[in-house]
Amino acid sequence: MGKVLEKKRLNEFLGEISKGADLIAPVKRGTLRFETVKDFDSICLEGRPLFPLKKFFSPAKRDVFGLTLTDKNKPFEENKPRIRQRIVFGARLCDFNGLLRLDKLFLSEEYKDDHYKLARENTLLLGINCDPPPSEYCFCESMDLERYYDLFFHDLGDKYYIEVGSLKGKALVKGLEDYDFSIPPIKCDKKLDRKDIAHYYEDPTWEKENEKCLSCGKCTAHCTTCLCFDVEDKMDVNLNKGRRFKEWDSCQFLNFTLVAGGYVFRKERLARFKHRIYHKLQYFREKFGLDMCTGCGRCIEACPRLIDFTDVVNKFK
Amino acid sequence: MLFSATPFKIVKKEKQADKTYLLRLEQAGKKKTRLSYKPGEFYEASIPGIGEAPISVCSYSRDFIEFNIRGVGDVTNKLIELETGDRIWLRGPYGTSYPMEELKGNSLVIIGGGTGVAPLRGVLKYLEKYRAENDRVHLFFGFRNPDETLFKDDMKQWDRIFDLNLTVDKADKGYKGRVGLVTQIVEKSGLDNKNKVALVCGPPIMMKFTIKTLEKLGFNHDQIFLSFERRMKCGVGMCGHCMISGFYVCKDGPVFRYDKVRGLPE
Repeated sequence: MGKVLEKKRLNEFLGEISKGADLIAPVKRGTLRFETVKDFDSICLEGRPLFPLKKFFSPAKRDVFGLTLTDKNKPFEENKPRIRQRIVFGARLCDFNGLLRLDKLFLSEEYKDDHYKLARENTLLLGINCDPPPSEYCFCESMDLERYYDLFFHDLGDKYYIEVGSLKGKALVKGLEDYDFSIPPIKCDKKLDRKDIAHYYEDPTWEKENEKCLSCGKCTAHCTTCLCFDVEDKMDVNLNKGRRFKEWDSCQFLNFTLVAGGYVFRKERLARFKHRIYHKLQYFREKFGLDMCTGCGRCIEACPRLIDFTDVVNKFK
Repeated sequence: MLFSATPFKIVKKEKQADKTYLLRLEQAGKKKTRLSYKPGEFYEASIPGIGEAPISVCSYSRDFIEFNIRGVGDVTNKLIELETGDRIWLRGPYGTSYPMEELKGNSLVIIGGGTGVAPLRGVLKYLEKYRAENDRVHLFFGFRNPDETLFKDDMKQWDRIFDLNLTVDKADKGYKGRVGLVTQIVEKSGLDNKNKVALVCGPPIMMKFTIKTLEKLGFNHDQIFLSFERRMKCGVGMCGHCMISGFYVCKDGPVFRYDKVRGLPE
């Protein structure tokens, strides 16, 4: 049992719930992207943004400390995260499931990233169902995604059925009419044969697909769950003030495993390609019990050579 | 806050070899806490404006930390320029330690190559205090040449209280000590694997050949502990740089039991 909202009242509804908060939704400006929305008419629910939602939780570049070298007692000035309340509307289950994966690393038992924690606490997740999947490269049906959201919208033509997923979500829709509907599971044309890929590490099919790879890193940039980052100090011209910042990095780059002295531990492009896929489909699962990959297909779609790891895995007998 | 570091000051600086110094650090603030690091663990040493580097502890104390630092990159080259009284910012300790509690009652075969001897010195400093817990302690340390031999003062002490086998790869004609690869010395030792645990640390290729030698002596894979190093940034199992297969060297290591990591792809 959920709620119903007429499509013509969507903007009114969004306006109500986003008072005092930022609304993040897919917007078409040349390309489809998640953006903070001012004009609700600019929201576009056709297709899905190629760039994932992760940038609002783990930004591409973020100052962790301000540096003042002349202050010998306190050269590090903590950059406390400040994040307004946000509502995400119109993202798909792959993006919300991506957050569940990022949680495992950024909100672990021992160490929690302050910015990410605040971002998660201050964000409501309003998803939209995929009927049909927004991209030919989607294969989330093969990936055991969770129905994870505060609210979940399903298009019924002239109205939306809204499934409630949390108490916070329930509070947003308490003024709406009840409606009974059962959202069917997502069906994708593209499939990934789920199997244990551990003993296929040396299979030559990996190399054939990897021949096209340029190590450009678009796959990791666009991946819903890739989060690897670098930490660097950068000084201003005065050499006194500066910052220590986090910045996205990619395991596909040659220098990802470079140590001082010049040795590179993962030198071959093929090894770097395999490391990413094995991390997504095996290593993460061994540690946390779920696949890191959410089946969004972004890495395939973004790749300049359309490298498709599902083709490789599906070939293994 | 996750990446916050605390200030330490250098109280002693001793040259060990070319571009290699042993630094003793004490907490710089007025409020001092009991340090709780264990051998095998590391700290991220931070120099504001330059960056951070993971450095293994090579001591065992509640009051000070000792690092053996060789200048190879931006941070380490700056660290060796510092003098007593200067500050280094540390966060940690991070990583897994040598399981000294579980190793009680075993004889230890400790094999180190070059700067790999540093984390093993941490183990020895522990053993200097808790000597009786381990039956026999056999040391096999190899360095490139006599000038690169580290911890020369400690070596004298260790020669007295442990079974020290020191060697260098190459030496000039006048050199009186043993010359030969450390793996060869281990092989000739005639040690068996009964009730023994091997702790190995050094360059990747040295560890690879040392394992082969230990296998020849009959050691099982769960009787060997290794210590790895990789590029590290966060030090707490988030940034991904130090991953070997599914393991984070900074969180699941740096100390690994060999049977757990054998055959893993990079």
